[in-house]
Amino acid sequence: MAEPAPKEQIALHEFSVRYRAALAKQHPTTEQSLDTVRGAVREQYEQEQEAKRSQTSEPPSQSKEREPDAPEA
Amino acid sequence: MDDLIKTVRTYRFASGLAERVRLAEDIFRRIEPDLRLFVFSSISNDSAQDALQEVLKAVAVSLQKFQGDTEKEFWAWCYRIARNKLSDHYREQYAERVQSVAPDELWRMMEVSAQDAPMSPAVWLDLKYAIQLLTAAKPECYKLLWRHYVIGLDYGEIAEERGLNYDAVRMQIGRCLEQAKALLT
Repeated sequence: MAEPAPKEQIALHEFSVRYRAALAKQHPTTEQSLDTVRGAVREQYEQEQEAKRSQTSEPPSQSKEREPDAPEA
Repeated sequence: MDDLIKTVRTYRFASGLAERVRLAEDIFRRIEPDLRLFVFSSISNDSAQDALQEVLKAVAVSLQKFQGDTEKEFWAWCYRIARNKLSDHYREQYAERVQSVAPDELWRMMEVSAQDAPMSPAVWLDLKYAIQLLTAAKPECYKLLWRHYVIGLDYGEIAEERGLNYDAVRMQIGRCLEQAKALLT
């Protein structure tokens, strides 16, 4: 099927731009949403710091010496 | 490069908490309205506010992992996270939601937009036509047209959402538009 006629697309595009602008104007980003974002960023940051701390405080791994093979009978 | 994507890239390399919070606030002030539209168009209003917060949190937590370079890629990434979140936690409402907005409400929103961008007679006719097309569409078509033309999801994103292929969605949307046009004549 051919693409829809541009007339419809132009009309719907104009509608979309205006609808979204009106929505953004009527419902600006709330403090609740920003708090959610801040909390998530902080949580993520703390996890990274924690991971870094545990990396630096881990003692170097001591690899277990391989036991010598049993002597052949 | 778009301003939004510049900020997202800066966020990716920001190491201090204060800087990250400042950049995240800037990013989310710009993307929250469209994510709100996506969520409120996808599930019932009762659950939508909680769902929106879940979506914002999921996007914020993963923001440093975004690897794309364009705004289009960024939006596709955000909508994928939103879709997964809604599908995982609000499956019932997500599947059932097909609720059209009344024409009066659509016009009211156009009047709100006209406060900042006055309508010329030609634009007014375009908007009238768009609202007629949307209101003439059958419920399933309304949902498709709304997601594609109003929210701005592309054929590929809708295809992913519905488990269909790209061409099937493209043809379905074309048919819906043709049907709506036919109902107006």
